Amino acid sequence: MVMENVVEKENEMAQEGFEPRILGFFCHWCCYAAADSAGVSRYQYPPNVRVIRVMCTGRIDTRFILEAFKCGADGVFTGG
Amino acid sequence: MIVAETARQFLADCGVNPERMTLEWASAAEAPRFVELITGYVSSIKEKGPLGEAEGEADAETLKRRLAAAVKAAQARKPRTVLGNLAKKLHKDGDYSKEAIAKGVSAKILPALRAERIKEEMLMLLEESPMSLDELCSALSCEKEEVEKPLAQLQKKGVVEEKDGKFALAKK
Repeated sequence: MVMENVVEKENEMAQEGFEPRILGFFCHWCCYAAADSAGVSRYQYPPNVRVIRVMCTGRIDTRFILEAFKCGADGVFTGG
Repeated sequence: MIVAETARQFLADCGVNPERMTLEWASAAEAPRFVELITGYVSSIKEKGPLGEAEGEADAETLKRRLAAAVKAAQARKPRTVLGNLAKKLHKDGDYSKEAIAKGVSAKILPALRAERIKEEMLMLLEESPMSLDELCSALSCEKEEVEKPLAQLQKKGVVEEKDGKFALAKK
Protein backbone atom coordinates (compact mmCIF):
# COMPACT_ATOMS: atom_id res chain seq x y z
CA MET A 1 0.00 0.00 0.00
CA VAL A 2 1.11 3.54 -0.79
CA MET A 3 0.55 4.67 2.79
CA GLU A 4 2.99 2.04 4.07
CA ASN A 5 5.68 3.24 1.66
CA VAL A 6 5.25 6.79 2.89
CA VAL A 7 5.54 5.62 6.48
CA GLU A 8 8.72 3.70 5.69
CA LYS A 9 10.31 6.72 4.06
CA GLU A 10 9.45 8.85 7.01
CA ASN A 11 10.97 6.28 9.34
CA GLU A 12 14.24 6.71 7.48
CA MET A 13 13.92 10.45 7.66
CA ALA A 14 13.17 10.46 11.38
CA GLN A 15 16.03 12.00 13.26
CA GLU A 16 16.81 11.98 16.94
CA GLY A 17 13.95 13.04 19.19
CA PHE A 18 10.43 11.88 18.77
CA GLU A 19 8.45 13.59 16.05
CA PRO A 20 4.98 12.04 16.01
CA ARG A 21 3.36 11.15 12.70
CA ILE A 22 -0.18 12.31 12.82
CA LEU A 23 -2.80 11.76 10.18
CA GLY A 24 -5.37 14.49 9.80
CA PHE A 25 -8.79 14.07 8.24
CA PHE A 26 -9.96 17.58 7.44
CA CYS A 27 -13.37 18.64 6.21
CA HIS A 28 -13.08 20.53 2.93
CA TRP A 29 -15.43 23.28 4.09
CA CYS A 30 -14.28 23.87 7.66
CA CYS A 31 -11.03 22.65 9.07
CA TYR A 32 -9.23 22.46 5.74
CA ALA A 33 -10.16 26.06 5.02
CA ALA A 34 -9.10 27.00 8.55
CA ALA A 35 -5.73 25.33 7.99
CA ASP A 36 -5.44 27.20 4.70
CA SER A 37 -6.19 30.57 6.25
CA ALA A 38 -3.80 29.80 9.12
CA GLY A 39 -1.13 29.32 6.49
CA VAL A 40 -2.07 32.51 4.65
CA SER A 41 -1.97 34.57 7.83
CA ARG A 42 1.40 33.00 8.70
CA TYR A 43 0.53 31.39 12.01
CA GLN A 44 3.16 28.94 13.23
CA TYR A 45 2.02 25.43 13.96
CA PRO A 46 3.76 22.02 14.21
CA PRO A 47 4.40 20.27 10.88
CA ASN A 48 3.55 16.78 12.17
CA VAL A 49 0.11 16.49 10.62
CA ARG A 50 -0.30 14.89 7.19
CA VAL A 51 -3.63 15.91 5.81
CA ILE A 52 -6.25 13.95 3.95
CA ARG A 53 -9.03 16.19 2.74
CA VAL A 54 -12.53 14.75 2.86
CA MET A 55 -15.61 16.45 1.50
CA CYS A 56 -17.35 16.08 4.86
CA THR A 57 -16.31 14.75 8.25
CA GLY A 58 -19.31 12.44 8.05
CA ARG A 59 -17.50 10.57 5.27
CA ILE A 60 -15.01 9.16 7.75
CA ASP A 61 -15.44 5.52 8.70
CA THR A 62 -14.14 3.63 11.73
CA ARG A 63 -12.06 1.64 9.32
CA PHE A 64 -10.13 4.70 8.08
CA ILE A 65 -9.01 5.45 11.61
CA LEU A 66 -8.00 1.85 12.35
CA GLU A 67 -6.16 1.62 9.03
CA ALA A 68 -4.16 4.74 9.91
CA PHE A 69 -3.03 3.23 13.21
CA LYS A 70 -2.29 -0.07 11.49
CA CYS A 71 0.03 1.76 9.10
CA GLY A 72 1.89 3.19 12.07
CA ALA A 73 0.37 6.61 12.68
CA ASP A 74 0.95 7.89 16.20
CA GLY A 75 -2.32 9.76 16.22
CA VAL A 76 -5.37 10.65 14.16
CA PHE A 77 -6.77 14.18 14.20
CA THR A 78 -10.24 14.58 12.78
CA GLY A 79 -11.23 18.17 12.07
CA GLY A 80 -14.78 19.11 11.22
CA MET B 1 -19.73 11.24 16.45
CA ILE B 2 -20.89 7.65 16.66
CA VAL B 3 -18.02 6.68 14.39
CA ALA B 4 -15.51 8.63 16.51
CA GLU B 5 -16.82 7.09 19.72
CA THR B 6 -16.75 3.61 18.14
CA ALA B 7 -13.17 4.15 16.98
CA ARG B 8 -12.11 5.38 20.41
CA GLN B 9 -13.67 2.48 22.31
CA PHE B 10 -12.44 -0.07 19.81
CA LEU B 11 -8.89 1.32 19.93
CA ALA B 12 -8.94 1.01 23.71
CA ASP B 13 -10.13 -2.57 23.27
CA CYS B 14 -7.20 -3.25 20.91
CA GLY B 15 -4.70 -1.84 23.42
CA VAL B 16 -4.19 1.63 21.95
CA ASN B 17 -4.59 4.73 24.09
CA PRO B 18 -7.95 6.14 22.89
CA GLU B 19 -6.69 9.72 23.31
CA ARG B 20 -4.60 9.22 20.20
CA MET B 21 -7.77 9.69 18.19
CA THR B 22 -9.48 13.04 18.48
CA LEU B 23 -12.41 14.83 16.88
CA GLU B 24 -12.45 18.63 16.95
CA TRP B 25 -14.25 21.47 15.23
CA ALA B 26 -12.83 24.61 13.70
CA SER B 27 -14.78 26.66 11.19
CA ALA B 28 -13.17 28.19 8.10
CA ALA B 29 -12.91 31.54 9.88
CA GLU B 30 -11.20 30.14 12.98
CA ALA B 31 -7.56 29.89 11.96
CA PRO B 32 -6.22 30.84 15.44
CA ARG B 33 -8.43 28.19 17.05
CA PHE B 34 -7.19 25.63 14.53
CA VAL B 35 -3.57 26.46 15.32
CA GLU B 36 -4.31 26.15 19.03
CA LEU B 37 -5.98 22.75 18.57
CA ILE B 38 -3.20 21.33 16.41
CA THR B 39 -0.44 22.60 18.71
CA GLY B 40 -2.16 21.18 21.77
CA TYR B 41 -2.84 17.86 20.12
CA VAL B 42 0.69 17.41 18.76
CA SER B 43 2.24 18.14 22.15
CA SER B 44 -0.11 15.68 23.86
CA ILE B 45 0.97 12.97 21.40
CA LYS B 46 4.61 13.89 21.94
CA GLU B 47 4.11 13.30 25.64
CA LYS B 48 2.62 9.87 24.96
CA GLY B 49 5.48 8.79 22.72
CA PRO B 50 5.33 6.52 19.66
CA LEU B 51 2.45 4.08 19.14
CA GLY B 52 2.70 1.19 21.57
CA GLU B 53 4.87 3.00 24.10
CA ALA B 54 2.32 4.98 26.08
CA GLU B 55 1.10 3.68 29.40
CA GLY B 56 -1.11 0.61 29.19
CA GLU B 57 -0.53 -0.02 25.49
CA ALA B 58 0.29 -3.43 24.05
CA ASP B 59 3.72 -4.01 22.48
CA ALA B 60 4.31 -3.08 18.86
CA GLU B 61 4.08 -6.57 17.36
CA THR B 62 0.85 -7.47 19.15
CA LEU B 63 -0.59 -4.11 18.16
CA LYS B 64 0.26 -4.61 14.52
CA ARG B 65 -1.52 -7.97 14.40
CA ARG B 66 -4.39 -6.73 16.51
CA LEU B 67 -4.97 -3.66 14.37
CA ALA B 68 -4.84 -5.70 11.18
CA ALA B 69 -7.57 -7.90 12.67
CA ALA B 70 -9.42 -4.78 13.76
CA VAL B 71 -9.47 -3.39 10.22
CA LYS B 72 -11.02 -6.64 9.03
CA ALA B 73 -13.53 -6.52 11.87
CA ALA B 74 -14.53 -2.98 10.92
CA GLN B 75 -15.33 -4.24 7.43
CA ALA B 76 -17.45 -7.14 8.62
CA ARG B 77 -21.18 -7.01 7.99
CA LYS B 78 -22.44 -7.54 11.52
CA PRO B 79 -20.77 -4.62 13.32
CA ARG B 80 -21.70 -2.32 10.43
CA THR B 81 -25.34 -3.34 10.65
CA VAL B 82 -25.28 -2.78 14.40
CA LEU B 83 -23.79 0.68 13.87
CA GLY B 84 -26.55 1.55 11.40
CA ASN B 85 -29.23 0.36 13.80
CA LEU B 86 -27.77 2.37 16.65
CA ALA B 87 -27.72 5.51 14.49
CA LYS B 88 -31.39 4.91 13.66
CA LYS B 89 -32.26 4.41 17.31
CA LEU B 90 -30.49 7.60 18.39
CA HIS B 91 -32.34 9.50 15.67
CA LYS B 92 -35.67 8.08 16.82
CA ASP B 93 -35.01 8.97 20.46
CA GLY B 94 -33.68 12.38 19.46
CA ASP B 95 -30.93 12.00 22.06
CA TYR B 96 -27.49 12.83 20.69
CA SER B 97 -25.76 13.48 24.01
CA LYS B 98 -22.24 12.16 24.46
CA GLU B 99 -23.40 9.85 27.25
CA ALA B 100 -26.16 8.29 25.15
CA ILE B 101 -23.75 7.67 22.27
CA ALA B 102 -21.04 6.23 24.53
CA LYS B 103 -23.57 3.96 26.22
CA GLY B 104 -25.02 2.72 22.93
CA VAL B 105 -21.61 2.09 21.45
CA SER B 106 -20.26 0.14 24.42
CA ALA B 107 -23.46 -1.90 24.73
CA LYS B 108 -24.02 -2.72 21.06
CA ILE B 109 -21.18 -1.99 18.65
CA LEU B 110 -18.16 -2.82 20.78
CA PRO B 111 -19.15 -6.45 21.55
CA ALA B 112 -19.84 -7.08 17.86
CA LEU B 113 -16.51 -5.57 16.80
CA ARG B 114 -14.62 -7.36 19.56
CA ALA B 115 -16.05 -10.75 18.59
CA GLU B 116 -15.07 -10.19 14.95
CA ARG B 117 -11.61 -9.02 15.93
CA ILE B 118 -11.00 -12.05 18.14
CA LYS B 119 -12.06 -14.36 15.33
CA GLU B 120 -9.80 -12.67 12.77
CA GLU B 121 -6.87 -12.49 15.16
CA MET B 122 -7.29 -16.15 16.03
CA LEU B 123 -7.07 -17.09 12.36
CA MET B 124 -3.90 -15.00 12.00
CA LEU B 125 -2.31 -16.68 15.02
CA LEU B 126 -3.23 -20.17 13.89
CA GLU B 127 -1.85 -19.48 10.46
CA GLU B 128 1.57 -18.99 12.02
CA SER B 129 1.54 -22.08 14.24
CA PRO B 130 -0.88 -24.49 15.96
CA MET B 131 -1.85 -23.39 19.46
CA SER B 132 -3.65 -24.79 22.48
CA LEU B 133 -6.67 -23.10 24.02
CA ASP B 134 -4.63 -21.58 26.85
CA GLU B 135 -1.99 -20.26 24.47
CA LEU B 136 -4.70 -18.67 22.35
CA CYS B 137 -6.23 -17.03 25.41
CA SER B 138 -2.97 -15.46 26.51
CA ALA B 139 -1.98 -14.36 22.99
CA LEU B 140 -5.40 -12.76 22.50
CA SER B 141 -5.40 -11.53 26.12
CA CYS B 142 -9.03 -12.45 26.70
CA GLU B 143 -11.19 -14.91 28.65
CA LYS B 144 -11.63 -18.58 27.78
CA GLU B 145 -15.35 -18.21 26.99
CA GLU B 146 -14.62 -15.53 24.42
CA VAL B 147 -12.21 -17.81 22.59
CA GLU B 148 -14.22 -21.02 22.79
CA LYS B 149 -17.30 -19.78 20.95
CA PRO B 150 -15.71 -18.56 17.71
CA LEU B 151 -13.33 -21.50 17.83
CA ALA B 152 -16.22 -23.96 17.93
CA GLN B 153 -17.87 -22.12 15.03
CA LEU B 154 -14.70 -22.29 12.96
CA GLN B 155 -14.36 -26.01 13.74
CA LYS B 156 -17.92 -26.56 12.60
CA LYS B 157 -17.19 -24.80 9.35
CA GLY B 158 -14.11 -27.00 8.93
CA VAL B 159 -11.66 -24.08 8.91
CA VAL B 160 -9.92 -25.16 12.11
CA GLU B 161 -8.97 -28.67 13.24
CA GLU B 162 -8.10 -30.00 16.67
CA LYS B 163 -5.15 -32.34 17.06
CA ASP B 164 -3.59 -33.49 20.37
CA GLY B 165 -5.18 -30.57 22.24
CA LYS B 166 -3.81 -28.06 19.75
CA PHE B 167 -5.75 -26.14 17.17
CA ALA B 168 -4.53 -25.59 13.63
CA LEU B 169 -5.96 -24.40 10.33
CA ALA B 170 -7.43 -27.27 8.33
CA LYS B 171 -5.38 -28.29 5.30
CA LYS B 172 -7.03 -27.63 2.00
